[in-house]
Amino acid sequence: MLALFALLPGVARAQIGGSERHIAMRLIAETDRPAPGGDVTIAFAARPQPGWHGYWKNPGDAGVPPRADWTLPDGVSAAPLEYPVPQRLMISGIMNYVYEGPFALLTTLHIPDGLSPGSALPVSVKLDYLVCTHEICVPESATLSTRLTIGDGSVPPGRRARFDRWRRALPRPLGAEATFATDADGLRLSVPFPAEATLAKDAYFFPLTDGVIDYSAPQRLMRKGDRLIIATRAGGAAGELLRGVLKTGAGSGFTLEARAGAVAAISSDEPAGFDWATLFAALGGAVLGGLILNIMPCVFPILSLKALGLARAGESETKARGEALAYAGGVVLTCLALGGLLLGLRAGGLAAGWAFQLQNPQVIAFLLLLVTAIALNLAGLYEFSMPALAGRFASATPGGGKGGAFATGALAAFVATPCTGPFMGAALGAALVLPWYAALAIFAGLGIGLALPFLAIGFVPAIRRRLPRPGAWMETLRHILSVPMFATALALAWILGRLAGADGMALGLGAALFFALGLWWTGWRQRRGKVRAFVPTLMLGMGAVAALFAITRAPATAASGQTRLGAQPFSEARLAALRSDGRPVFAYFTADWCLTCKVNEKAAIETNAVADSFAKNNVAVLVGDWTDGDPELGRFLEAHHRAGVPLYLWYAAGAGEPRVLPQVLTPSLLAALPDSVRAGE
Amino acid sequence: MNRTRIFAAATAAVAAFVAGPIAAQQTVGQQARNFRLTDMHGKNVELADYRGKIVVLEWNNPGCPFVQKHYRSGNMQNTQVKAREMGAVWLTINSGAPGKQGNMTGAQAQRFVADQKAKPTDYLLDPKGVVGKAYDAKTTPHLYIIAADGTLVYQGGMDDRPTADPADIDGARNHVIAALRELSAGQPVSVSETRPYGCSVKYAS
Repeated sequence: MLALFALLPGVARAQIGGSERHIAMRLIAETDRPAPGGDVTIAFAARPQPGWHGYWKNPGDAGVPPRADWTLPDGVSAAPLEYPVPQRLMISGIMNYVYEGPFALLTTLHIPDGLSPGSALPVSVKLDYLVCTHEICVPESATLSTRLTIGDGSVPPGRRARFDRWRRALPRPLGAEATFATDADGLRLSVPFPAEATLAKDAYFFPLTDGVIDYSAPQRLMRKGDRLIIATRAGGAAGELLRGVLKTGAGSGFTLEARAGAVAAISSDEPAGFDWATLFAALGGAVLGGLILNIMPCVFPILSLKALGLARAGESETKARGEALAYAGGVVLTCLALGGLLLGLRAGGLAAGWAFQLQNPQVIAFLLLLVTAIALNLAGLYEFSMPALAGRFASATPGGGKGGAFATGALAAFVATPCTGPFMGAALGAALVLPWYAALAIFAGLGIGLALPFLAIGFVPAIRRRLPRPGAWMETLRHILSVPMFATALALAWILGRLAGADGMALGLGAALFFALGLWWTGWRQRRGKVRAFVPTLMLGMGAVAALFAITRAPATAASGQTRLGAQPFSEARLAALRSDGRPVFAYFTADWCLTCKVNEKAAIETNAVADSFAKNNVAVLVGDWTDGDPELGRFLEAHHRAGVPLYLWYAAGAGEPRVLPQVLTPSLLAALPDSVRAGE
Repeated sequence: MNRTRIFAAATAAVAAFVAGPIAAQQTVGQQARNFRLTDMHGKNVELADYRGKIVVLEWNNPGCPFVQKHYRSGNMQNTQVKAREMGAVWLTINSGAPGKQGNMTGAQAQRFVADQKAKPTDYLLDPKGVVGKAYDAKTTPHLYIIAADGTLVYQGGMDDRPTADPADIDGARNHVIAALRELSAGQPVSVSETRPYGCSVKYAS
């Protein structure tokens, strides 16, 4: 029998190598001296050999999860094992949920009351687990023991740091219920997840409930506002409840529960299901939006000068039409290119969208430079070489200034993007959930709208005749039109200040000044007829752009109404200090990925009524940010019987225990807190 | 030597499907897909040959500790004997790819059956994994029961104790025996789908 196994490749090693384990397993207690009536965290610190892996709680298509059989003193009980966020391992089409590197399984032992200090607690456990390579599997069994002595429960700092590292690898409770639906298209899981929360590209839903999801099928993730949609193939089993772990980044994730319910189908999947009426309405909106863009401060100056140019005396009918068409072509193509880029980024899994872009301080700073440059051009500091280039192209082409008109159209569409931001955000957002061709039609519609006035001028001589004749006054008009452009730059600088703080704004304005100096130098060279007049601009411009990379986003707290409440970061020491000063304290615990938290903050905490009430009563506000799962905060939450955020605590002045507020807050409830204390006194 | 080469050639020729393109995964209550494979003696065997009899399919990899749990304890052999006493046909199938764990030639399979005193009706070789993938066989062991009328009535694990420990066999519910008893009593199979457990099937890709 053994001889036969020895014949088979790879088997012999697995059979005979029993003396040496493929996963080195150690049992470590966070404290060796637990207090009576307290809890002690116990870790199975596992270190697989290179090429070997251990299994998660749900092993996937094959494999088995670890199993612990405890031998404990009377009254001591062990909680179920807690597993860190696992990894995926696909072998020949079979999905395995595993740990390929060192990992730790944690559990909590509860120590009964009434044990006298110094009494010994021998803890022993037999852990059965499967360890595999891509080729072979070996079941291993480790009998591990440790000896605890009843003491004061103090944790040595080194061990605390180590356990905190392991705790960070555990999934955290998302705290909001998800929904899933199964139909002919497969399974769709909809998870409440704030649009601003970060999600890695390789995010994945690890199911704990067996059979509802086909493990080996790929998962598609889409973000729709404050929801994350995961679409995949359904497993054979139907169920009402789907539990699992959502991995959002390397070694971080959330436990969540989903109930069967309605989840809207993903529209890009169903070109058949989409509604032409909606498309035409959106298209009409886009054309109208494009039309309105013509009078936006960043487009109007460029456009009006071009329009006046077209109204040149003695211009032939065909030439005017040709130029109008070229301009429209430039506008529409640029809109399509920008739209296509956006759709491409989105298909690539990026959370792209106009609104998202405008939250990036670097993008804002870049637009600031661009708008400043255009404003200075209008003000007459220097001339664009682009028209010169285009002019050369135009003179080589029979039919006149079509190249120039095309370039102007492209520029107008490109420059229009900063203006579309908050204004067109919603319409563009709608475009992005439509099938790609419908979305591109919307972008084209935007371009057509933008080009319409110019087309009208080109094709209707009556309008052209009514335009004033070009002359020296145009130069003056151009200088005047630089004013709205400078105003746009001012607005961008303000947004930059909101996003990146005073430092970021100063840096952005400094870069703009630097760039302006380059342009001034260019203008000076241009007036003296020098060749390569743009060299200084290029050099200084590159310096200015480089400076933009130094701009970083200011901490989120500075940007929101939290400043109004004078919130400080939470720490237990800070809390104790404030309470010993006799101040009432409102402490809240939040995370970027917690939708309930964000809703409460917007709708209740950061409201004027609450700010006034808290200011009047000298309430101190502390914020604990659990976005990255700080174990220190985790322990504090646990002490208040919460596995995660949100948690809202009210410490009345001089009161012993905090009042735990409900998970759904209202402004009136918060604003009334200080008064309720007084009533109680 | 000569014989081994014949087997190698036979297994390389392999596994042609009698009907249509491959659709992974079989559904309980529906017709189980027909297949043709080369057995350990180099003979072609077709599922349809056994129409009118209950057929048990067992996915096998002698190197897998979960398979060893059931063979070393004699549990698999006992189940095979009982199944055949009840009139069922037992086909053991090996989908291990050449060079991977558990892959066997016909001669090796014959030795395995003899050494283990295994009692399958036949041992079939599926080195390209075609039948394994068509049945969505994921683990070794992974078991399927096909009723006399050709419908699939059970797919899943050997029993309800997903461990590699032979001590867990006593007291476990043997899903195959339970289903076969229900079938011979003319009852529907009460547990028709369970989660299979074991090593992953060592497919080529």
